[in-house]
Amino acid sequence: MKAIIAATIIGVVLMFTGILVKEKKGIATLAAILFFLLLGVNIWELSTLDANQPQAFFNNMLRIDRYSVWFNTLMTACTVLYVMLSGREIQKVGIHVSDYFALMSFMLVGLYMLSGYSNMLVLFLGIEIISIPQYILAGSDKKNLKSSEASLKYFLMGAFTTGILLMGITLLYGASGTFDIARFTFLQADSLNPMALCGIIFLIIAFAFKVSAAPMHMWTPDVYDGSPTPFTAFMSTVVKAAAFIAFIKLFHISFNSLSGHWTMIIAVITAATLLVGNVTAVFQQSVKRMMAYSSIAQAGFMLFAVLSISATSWQGLIIYAVSYTVATMGVFAVLMKLKDFTYDGFNGLAKREPLLAFVMTIFLLSLAGIPLTGGFMAKYFMLTAAVEQGQVLWLVIFALLMAAISVYYYFRVIIAMYFKQGSPEMSSPVTAGDRLVLVATAALVILLGVAPGLLLKFI
Amino acid sequence: MDLLLLATDQNTPFNYFPIALQLVVAIGFVIVMMVVTHLLGPKRRTSDKLINFESGIPSVGNARQPMAIKYFLVAILFVLFDVEVIFFYPYAINFAELGWEGFKAVLLFVAFFLCGFIYIVKKGALEWEE
Amino acid sequence: MVIQEALFWFLTVMAIVCALGVILSRNPISSVLFLIATFFAISGHYILLNAQFLGIVNIIVYAGAIMVLFLFVIMLMNLNADTEPQKNRLIQFAGVISGGILFLVVLAAMRTVGGTAVDHTTTDIGLIKNLGKVLFTQYVLPFEISSVLFLSAMIGAIVIGKKE
Repeated sequence: MKAIIAATIIGVVLMFTGILVKEKKGIATLAAILFFLLLGVNIWELSTLDANQPQAFFNNMLRIDRYSVWFNTLMTACTVLYVMLSGREIQKVGIHVSDYFALMSFMLVGLYMLSGYSNMLVLFLGIEIISIPQYILAGSDKKNLKSSEASLKYFLMGAFTTGILLMGITLLYGASGTFDIARFTFLQADSLNPMALCGIIFLIIAFAFKVSAAPMHMWTPDVYDGSPTPFTAFMSTVVKAAAFIAFIKLFHISFNSLSGHWTMIIAVITAATLLVGNVTAVFQQSVKRMMAYSSIAQAGFMLFAVLSISATSWQGLIIYAVSYTVATMGVFAVLMKLKDFTYDGFNGLAKREPLLAFVMTIFLLSLAGIPLTGGFMAKYFMLTAAVEQGQVLWLVIFALLMAAISVYYYFRVIIAMYFKQGSPEMSSPVTAGDRLVLVATAALVILLGVAPGLLLKFI
Repeated sequence: MDLLLLATDQNTPFNYFPIALQLVVAIGFVIVMMVVTHLLGPKRRTSDKLINFESGIPSVGNARQPMAIKYFLVAILFVLFDVEVIFFYPYAINFAELGWEGFKAVLLFVAFFLCGFIYIVKKGALEWEE
Repeated sequence: MVIQEALFWFLTVMAIVCALGVILSRNPISSVLFLIATFFAISGHYILLNAQFLGIVNIIVYAGAIMVLFLFVIMLMNLNADTEPQKNRLIQFAGVISGGILFLVVLAAMRTVGGTAVDHTTTDIGLIKNLGKVLFTQYVLPFEISSVLFLSAMIGAIVIGKKE
């Protein structure tokens, strides 16, 4: 709750800095400091929270436990890292720099709501609060037609999905007479209510769209490709993690008893997502577009957390969200330094910028799930959770196969950097500060791979 | 006269009966007038009569032209504040009952909107001529 | 209540016919006008359900403000030429099939639930007084946080709409 208030105030403050401060660099620095303060507020909230007793706010609108606050803390930390990695690129997008940061702060409000909601109304508001800034950020590069297209496409599709989400909530309300997610469990006692099942199907569709799972993934490549690159890095990581925590919360807490009815649907969605994401990524020529498909593929792995209901899957979600977020932000940070986003643009990067190529390799290895990186531990946790659950062993084998395919397109970049000749054009010089942050990020990826337990200490 | 008696009841949909009646009369009047003038008036269609009347000046170009985005901007901001104002209505009716708690809630809400309004004015979104 | 039932059926038919008109009419302006008519029909339903506040808000905000904005946008776009691309027949067919299946599923679900779930007695829940009480006490948190949504919308209007 403290974090929600703090993030709102920070958002309002950032709105006004754009009027008072004209210098872009100053705004970016201030934003980094404010997000850092927000991280502090999160840690403060974590330390004051009773370990065993979830805290309810405002007539049970929010129910905050250690898990959700820890998730908030990690995601806020990722946001700080993101601002440090791509703060300079954000300044280049347009003139409304402070507004972009304000929107990010509001998105964090949405994230905090989605990790702690206990009422469908708060869920709906949270989803809207993370969505609307995304539509705006996607279209913030107004001179670029692709950016406008991305924004409009995302907005229209997102608006339809919001309608579907609302329909699902309505049907559930009609079946149960309550918005409280903890009280939906009455469904098991009653003879099965078809209206509630319909509602659950609608909710699956809406969430699948928000996390870009097949077959509701169609918007992802165009939106992620068309949006300004720094915002793609944010949308495909922190915001996606927020949608996932809302997904897993609702389905594990409320619909747990009905899992027999929806496990198969989610399993098929997972399989389709893995297949579409990985196979289509192979055929891409642009690394940015490949990353869009890769984010679909990674969403497929994260869906395992929803699928297998156990403590391991909750832990797995946190590990996956963090390691995927850190690695993806790293990849995008390197990508933004280059002018040409195709594979050929990476040719010979190792000669020109050996450090950049090296950290990029680590990030890509993590995304591919090679041992000793965070991505490996994340995939390991997810698949362990699925094996423990035991119903979808075929899906685990399929996922392993798909992970093998993903190695191909991630390694194409590495091969281009190390084994091909060429002189990549840089869009901006790589400063010492950039190097420092990138190396720190890469070190973080390795640390997560060696000691993933660090992420679970505070739950 | 059952209906009119029902209308005096508190808080039923039939409170709206007079409004519905007014709507029906208003729409009915328009429809009747349009149909009747159509039927009664003589019709002589010449090519001069069928073109748009623009004060005697020959029409030039197309009416569908791209327009300044300022109009949209003002319209969108209007919708936002319109929605805000609607929240006051249920508050006003419960004003006394909600007491200070409700007052604080509304005050906070209005404070946010005031921030938004100052932001809009300062950013120059409502300036017509730049 | 015969009148209430008659009104219900009238409004229902009006809503469905107008909604079909929205998607079937070729002229975007008549689509918007149909949509306004649909909103009025739905407002009528709200009033029949004794949810007067929702009915009024629906007319003021949707039929009044938002639809005018829609009309604004459509009138100012260049829609003289019939530029709508021809859709693939196969895709249309697939759309009809999948939409029809969803419709059937929902319809079947509603049928199984039957009339038992619907409460026919009129309640006062939807009246402005009761709604306000709930909104400012139980649901005060979503009410406050919705202002964050409005603020982001304002930023969006500035970022997207303001000339650089």
